[in-house]
Amino acid sequence: MKKNKNIRMILLFLVPVAFLYISFFIYPLAFVLGTSLTEWNGITEMKFAGIDNYKKLLTDETFLLSIKNNIIWALSGGFIQIPLATMVALILARKPKGWKTLRTIYFLPNIISAVAIAMMWKAIYNPMYGFLNAFLNLFGIEGHNWLGETATALPSVIAQTVLYIGYFMVIIFAATTTIPKSFYEAAEIDGCTTLQQEWFITIPMIRGILVTTITLAMAYGMRHFEATFLMTSGGPAHSTSVMGLILYNKMDAFRLGEANATGTILILLGTVVIVVIRKLLSGRDAGSDSVQ
Amino acid sequence: MKVFLNTLKWIILIFFLFVALYPLIWLLLASFKANNLELQQNPFGFPEKWMFINYYNAMVKAKLPSLFIHSIIVAFSAVFLNLLVASMTSFVISREDFKGKNVLLTVIAAGILLPIISFMVPYFTIIQKMRLYDSLLALIIVYSAINIPISVFLLTSFMGSIPVELEEAATIDGAGFVQRFTKVIIPLSQTGLATAGTFCFIYSWNEFIMALLLTSSESSRTLQLGIRFFTSQFVTDYTAMYAAIVITIIPSIVVYFIFHNKIISGLTAGAVKG
Amino acid sequence: MRKITFLVLSLTLIVAGTVFANGQQEKDKEIVLKWPSIWVGEDSKAGVVAQLVEQFNADNAGMIKVEVEAQPDYDGYEQKIRTSIAAGIVPDIFTMKLNPTTKAYYDSPLLMDFSKELSTGWGKDFNEGTVAQATVNGMVKSLPYEVAITPVWYNMDLFKKAGVSKYPRTYAEFLDAAAKLKAAGFIPTSQMTGGSNAWTSMLWYSHFLASFGGPDVYANPFGTDAYVKAAEVLLAMYSDGNTSMDAIGGDAGVSGGHYLAGESAMFINGPWYIGRVKTEAPAVYSATEVGPAPAAGSQKGAMIGFLQTNFAAAANADDPEKAAAAVKFIKWMTKAENVAKISAASGAMFAVKYDSSSISDELMGKFINASNDASFTIPHLEGVVTSDVITEFGQALGKMALGEATPKEFVEMLKKVQDQ
Repeated sequence: MKKNKNIRMILLFLVPVAFLYISFFIYPLAFVLGTSLTEWNGITEMKFAGIDNYKKLLTDETFLLSIKNNIIWALSGGFIQIPLATMVALILARKPKGWKTLRTIYFLPNIISAVAIAMMWKAIYNPMYGFLNAFLNLFGIEGHNWLGETATALPSVIAQTVLYIGYFMVIIFAATTTIPKSFYEAAEIDGCTTLQQEWFITIPMIRGILVTTITLAMAYGMRHFEATFLMTSGGPAHSTSVMGLILYNKMDAFRLGEANATGTILILLGTVVIVVIRKLLSGRDAGSDSVQ
Repeated sequence: MKVFLNTLKWIILIFFLFVALYPLIWLLLASFKANNLELQQNPFGFPEKWMFINYYNAMVKAKLPSLFIHSIIVAFSAVFLNLLVASMTSFVISREDFKGKNVLLTVIAAGILLPIISFMVPYFTIIQKMRLYDSLLALIIVYSAINIPISVFLLTSFMGSIPVELEEAATIDGAGFVQRFTKVIIPLSQTGLATAGTFCFIYSWNEFIMALLLTSSESSRTLQLGIRFFTSQFVTDYTAMYAAIVITIIPSIVVYFIFHNKIISGLTAGAVKG
Repeated sequence: MRKITFLVLSLTLIVAGTVFANGQQEKDKEIVLKWPSIWVGEDSKAGVVAQLVEQFNADNAGMIKVEVEAQPDYDGYEQKIRTSIAAGIVPDIFTMKLNPTTKAYYDSPLLMDFSKELSTGWGKDFNEGTVAQATVNGMVKSLPYEVAITPVWYNMDLFKKAGVSKYPRTYAEFLDAAAKLKAAGFIPTSQMTGGSNAWTSMLWYSHFLASFGGPDVYANPFGTDAYVKAAEVLLAMYSDGNTSMDAIGGDAGVSGGHYLAGESAMFINGPWYIGRVKTEAPAVYSATEVGPAPAAGSQKGAMIGFLQTNFAAAANADDPEKAAAAVKFIKWMTKAENVAKISAASGAMFAVKYDSSSISDELMGKFINASNDASFTIPHLEGVVTSDVITEFGQALGKMALGEATPKEFVEMLKKVQDQ
């Protein structure tokens, strides 16, 4: 790579991001990493503890279960939510009747506060008054205490999140708008069916953005916290616990050293998962993904 | 086959329409119910009596109108600052060659993974040091910063898709570095800007914990803190809180409509020609 | 369109700028005390507390001004206090729950120690033993203020409909009553494993602990007999339809909801719930009796009572005038007549000696009787263990209720967390 003659301008353009990123990501991250090696309650002096916090976490059954749950969350995000979002985005990209309205409505759940949505789903899953059991009873299927049984609690919370595809649908849809119409016209002349056009033109053309959204969805799965906190608090019997929840509970218990060790492991594991996924999906350097 | 596909298409669209619309319907019905007991006993039906008073309470008791102005200022300024910084960054990363740019992108994008909740103590410290505690500017800076990774991540992806020929043509016409940014890349990546901007807006509009942490007086509080007016140590008045939530999501919907639908559909018609 | 967007954005920035400029004024001389307060908004104490602050400010005009910063969201409030103290900044005045986790605040030199002030006569204003409960290593860095008892609430209508005339005093009576209640189609008890602390069931467990272990039960280490026996009884509450189907995974909305709806006959909560029952379910309100839990062990008539909220303040070691002002304000808030006013309006109970005769609420009267009639009182489990043990409590209880852990294993799970 030869030296870019615009290097001064480039550096100038990077000054603002450097300021914000160092202040609000690098410094806090250094703080989190540093304190993760200490025993600290936020009040008295920190005591250096080496890797004790990490040892403790990695030998804790609940923490290991949480890692497993986070990976399930990440996979569900990347490989259930994104395919669903892609499917809907591709349908909408063909501009069926009312597509503009539909696109707006699909995004609505992202605007509504998570607290309200969680309360609604708790009501839906409730075994006594719930909508879901009432619905299943119509078909003679016996109901469950969806959020109260270890087997169903995690899938129930995940389903609630994965069904809201609007966020990713919007990104994927935006990418489809950059594909030149002439490509489809040419394919049409060659006698390609709609499905073939999607598979051979659209998907390859938005491949970069698909890798991007899968990565994003998996990153959100790794740091997932809110819906679990609001719906199950990790229960029953820790079956829905995730790393973000453990981090929160450790902070609540004034164990900031352990909380920050949890945060560090979350970041490391998240990075590993994402690097692996991007290598598998793109086979190229993670940084250079783009719509071709 | 064609009929089958067409039917399947509409089944899919209507299913997700229901999934996406139902929370709003539920929230609307819930916000008119009398109290928590009715909410539990009759979670899905119509309210026994439509309690418009919940809306009156939300507006007057929780002082939503003045908080509303704060939220508008914070969200719009955060989006503006965020897009400005993120688009400059994404421009150089996606359109220029320099050593370490992939590392730079990876480092910035990795910010998406960071659990912001563990940054409470450092953020509080920084904002105190900057002497911005209890000001709207604190929230503007924090929100725009938190959204840098996602915005850069999206924008590099969108900007990378712009054909090189367009830029080269501009260079031949005598456009310099800055003009290439403002005259070529920015106009051509409005889809991406609108997408990233929408996400930043929604985040800033809905954010609660940093707003609570970094502000204290009424002169710098946002809507999300107003919604919590109806919670207290032991009991939360959910119906009134839902009324407040309904009021606060209306502007989000409007913004989403304008910034997303109008801008994008105006552009997608002919912005990028292959 | 683009130009307009840009204009709008620039304008908002300018407006924002002017707003900040106005926000940064300071007043001279007058000592301003900031109080991030939870007693605001819909809290039942909000009205009277606001009046008292106003009156205090009027009485001290030009010298001291207390500014209340509304913090209605309790979890958020606790996080904010914790974070700002970790960053080295203590609010002038604030309130806190005292438990083995928050006792760590006592190690901070930034918090004021009230022990000297208390020893000059102020201490006599408090009920016996309350100041001692808030004393750690001779320091009183949080001043007992609001207290609470959590008796069992009995819906006597349901008992009568099921053919039971008195609420059960012993475990045998409980089993008999529960069978009859179930036969009549009612849910015997409200329980919950969800939320951050499994609140209702944690209180049931505390009652059973008192009955098996007596007044000194918490002096015994975890894993001793009383803990296991109490867990066996708690498990029985979750078995044979003794609680609702949605108790596992249910939150406070679930356990309270069944009682309010007249579906469950026994429930536990503090006096703050009275107002809600009165407005949302008047029939349940008038049918409610409160008393000790059925004695599962040998000790009868025990009550659960604890320090609910304590006052705390910044030490302000470099600014003695400000420190004195804070003490002056807290003394004002603990004045017997002022406490009586708050209590009469809200139904809350206090650690300060005051005249409670002006309390007119019928159910509140029953609470006071239940408190006076108690053979002995111990705190709830949440008050004597660290907060991670309480988080584990809900999870371990869920496991036990689902049949995946025995009562002994349940106790061991808690012990394991406590030993860390």
